[in-house]
Amino acid sequence: MTSICMYFEVHQPVRLNRFSVFNIGTDADSSLNYFDKKLNHEIFEKVAKKCYLPTNNLLLNLINEFDGKFRISFSLTGTFVEYCEQFMPSVLDSFKKLFATGAVDMIEETYFHSLSGLYDDLEEFEEQVEMHRQMIRRIFNYEPKVFRNTEAIYDNRIAKKVGEMGYKGIITEGTEKILGWRSPNYLYRSINSDIKVLLRNYSLSDDIGFRFSTRNWPGYPLTADKYASWISRCEGDLINLFIDYETFGEHQWTETGIFDFLSHLPREALKHKQLDFVTVGEAVDIYQPIGEIDVPWAISWADADRDVSTWLGNDMQFACFNELKNIGRKLKEKGDDKLLNVWRRLQTSDHLYYVSTKGLEDGDVHAYFSHYDGPYDGFINYMNILQDLKQKISLE
Amino acid sequence: MKVAMIGWEYPPFKSGGLGTHCYGLTRSLADKNVKIDFYMPKTKHSTGSDRDNLIIKEVGQSEIFPYDRPEDKELVGQFFENVYRYNDLVVERVKGNYDLIHCHDWLTMKAGVSLKEKMGVPLVLSVHSTEYDRSGWLYPNDWFINIEREGMEKADRIIAVSHFTKRVIVDKYGINPNKITVVHNAVYQIPEGQKQEIVLFLGRLTIQKGAEFFLRAARKVLDYEPDARFVVAGTGDMLPRLIDQAVILGISNRVIFTGLLSEEEVKHIYGISSVYVMPSVSEPFGITALEAISAGTPTIASKTAGFSEAFRNCLRVDFWDTDEMANKIISILRYEPLRNTLVEEGKREIDLFTWDRVAEKTIDVYNGVL
Repeated sequence: MTSICMYFEVHQPVRLNRFSVFNIGTDADSSLNYFDKKLNHEIFEKVAKKCYLPTNNLLLNLINEFDGKFRISFSLTGTFVEYCEQFMPSVLDSFKKLFATGAVDMIEETYFHSLSGLYDDLEEFEEQVEMHRQMIRRIFNYEPKVFRNTEAIYDNRIAKKVGEMGYKGIITEGTEKILGWRSPNYLYRSINSDIKVLLRNYSLSDDIGFRFSTRNWPGYPLTADKYASWISRCEGDLINLFIDYETFGEHQWTETGIFDFLSHLPREALKHKQLDFVTVGEAVDIYQPIGEIDVPWAISWADADRDVSTWLGNDMQFACFNELKNIGRKLKEKGDDKLLNVWRRLQTSDHLYYVSTKGLEDGDVHAYFSHYDGPYDGFINYMNILQDLKQKISLE
Repeated sequence: MKVAMIGWEYPPFKSGGLGTHCYGLTRSLADKNVKIDFYMPKTKHSTGSDRDNLIIKEVGQSEIFPYDRPEDKELVGQFFENVYRYNDLVVERVKGNYDLIHCHDWLTMKAGVSLKEKMGVPLVLSVHSTEYDRSGWLYPNDWFINIEREGMEKADRIIAVSHFTKRVIVDKYGINPNKITVVHNAVYQIPEGQKQEIVLFLGRLTIQKGAEFFLRAARKVLDYEPDARFVVAGTGDMLPRLIDQAVILGISNRVIFTGLLSEEEVKHIYGISSVYVMPSVSEPFGITALEAISAGTPTIASKTAGFSEAFRNCLRVDFWDTDEMANKIISILRYEPLRNTLVEEGKREIDLFTWDRVAEKTIDVYNGVL
C-alpha cells in the first residue's frame, strides 16, 4: 500500500501600514497604527471568497462522498484564525465542519508563523507553539501530534526541541540536500531525536502548486487521472503532497480548472487498488522510519534554494532580524504584555520575505506576494516600525 | 552593412542622453562590423572616432541644442532657421552607398525623411525624448510635435528608449505599436570614490528634470539629518529660480549649485555621493541613474522614468511626493544595510546594461528593415 498524505498550509500575514521616518517617535500610541487593518480585511475577504470557502466546501463534499476514505490535513496559523474570528466567522465554521468529519487532522506550528525557530535560544519558539496549541484546543478541542515549522524550516536543533515537546512527527522539505539518493516517499528519523520526519515530495507537490497552469510544461494540461497514475507508479510508503492552500482559486484561478482537478482526484486515486489517503497523524502511526536524516543547517520549502536565504539572504534582512531579536530581549525584561503582543505580530516571517532581493524566477514569486514596490520599500517600512517600537521601549 | 547615422552631439561635448547613447551605440556597432558614418553639426569642440568602422563627419557650423526651447520671438526665428539649415546641409552632404539611414530625435528627422526619399533606403528612427517630455507636459509646442510626428510616420522602424516612451509615441503621435522596438539604454561604468554624506541631483536645470522637487525634499531631510549636504549639478534656464528657491527654503548653506561640470568633475561627484535623486517630471530613460549606480551611489528615481521600468535595484517615488522622497533619502543615509544592499545588488544588475547589448538589439532592428 502507498498512502497519499495531502496537507494544506493556511496562512495570512498581518500586513503593515505605511510608516515613514517622519512617523518614528511621534505618537505615543503609534503601535496601534503599525498594522493595515483595512488592507488585511480586504485581502482576507477576497481570498476567503476565491479560495477558503469554495475549497472547504468542495473538500467537505468529497470527504462525505467517499465516506472518509479521502483524508486530509491542515495547518492554520494564529494570524489566520484571528482574521476568521474578526472578519468572517463562517470561514472558521467551515474548518470546524471539516474537522468534525474525522477525516481531517490539524497540524501544530508557531502561532505567528515566525522565524523564532532560528533565534539563539528557543524560548520564544516554545511560547509561540504553546499559544498555537491553546488556540487549536480552544477551537477544535484537539491536540495535534504532528508539527510543521514556518515554511517547513527545519534543522537538527528544531527537530530535537519539537521532539522534546512531545510531538510524534515533523514536516519538512524532501530536498536532495538532505536525502542524497534516497526517496522522500518514506518516513525518516531525526539524527538526534526519535521524532518521525515527513518529507514533502516537492516534484509532485509543485506540479499542482506551481506548474498546474503552465502551458509550456510537458505535463500540461494536468488531469486527475494522469496525476493519479503518476502517483501509482511511485515507490514508497507515503507520498507527501504539501501545498499552499491558496493554490486553489487564488494562485491558480478557477478558470485553470484547479477545482475540477481537485474534485476528481480522490476518485481517480482510489481507482488504483494500492493507493489510499492518510492524515499526517495516521502517517506517523502507521509507518516506520527507514533511515535517519541529518540537517545541521536549516532547510525550508521556499524558493529554489530550499534554505532560509528567502528570509535571511541580504544585509537588510539580517539587520531587521537582529533588531527584532534585540527588541524582544528588552521587552521580555520589562514584561510589557501589550508591546510584546505587537512585537510578536512583527515576527511573522512574511515581513522579511518582502525584503528578499533574490532575482529571476523567485523574485517574481516574491513580487506576486508583496504589497510593497519591491524589497527596498519593504525594508524601509519595516525598519521604521522597528525603530519606533524600540524608542517606545526605551521611553517607558 | 553600412549605415548613415545622423545625430547632433557626440562626446566630449554633449548635453544629454542622446550624445551618450550615440557614442556607446556607434562604437559597439563598429565592433560588430557595422560601418557607420556619423553626421553631426560642427561645434567648437573637436571630436573623433577610435574605431576603423566609424567615421565622424561634421556638417556645417551650428550651436543649436536639441533641448533648447527658445522663448524670445526673435530667437525662435533664428533657431528654426538653424535647424532647417543643418538638415539641408546634411541632405546635401550624405552621399554614397548606404543600406539604411538611422537618425535620432526631432532635430534630425527632416533630414532623415528627405534622405530616405532621395536614396530609397529604409529609415530607422531612435526616440530619446519627445516634445511632451521636454516641456514637462506643460504647453508642448506644435512645431516640434509636427516634425516628430512626420518623422515617426515616415520611419520604417522606431527604437524607443523605454516602454514609457513607446506608449507616448503610440498614444500621442498615433503610431502603430508594431513598428516600435524598445531598447533600454546602457552605461560606461564610473569608478566609486570616497563616499561623503552628499545627496546629488545631476541634470539639465529645466522644468523636465524636476530639480525644484529635489530642493523641497532637501528641506525636509535637513530637519532630521542636519549634516547632509545637497549638490545640484548642471545648468539650465531654471538655475536662477532654483537658487532663489533654496534661499526661500532657508537651506542655501546646505545646497551647492555647481553649474556646468566637465566630464571628469561629473565622474568625481557621482563617485563621492551617497544618494542620487532623479526626480524627473518626464523621463524617457535617464542614463544618469545608471551612471550613478555604476559609481556605487544608491538611486531614487521618478516612478515614471524609463529607467525605473528597466532597473530593479533602485528606489522609486512619484516626483511630486517630496515627503516620500525625503523618507527615502533619510532611510538611505540612516540605514547602512539598505545602502549596502542597494550598492551591491545595483552593481550586479548594472553589468547587464552594456552598449554591446544595445548594439545587438539595434542590429536586430536593422535586419528587420533590410
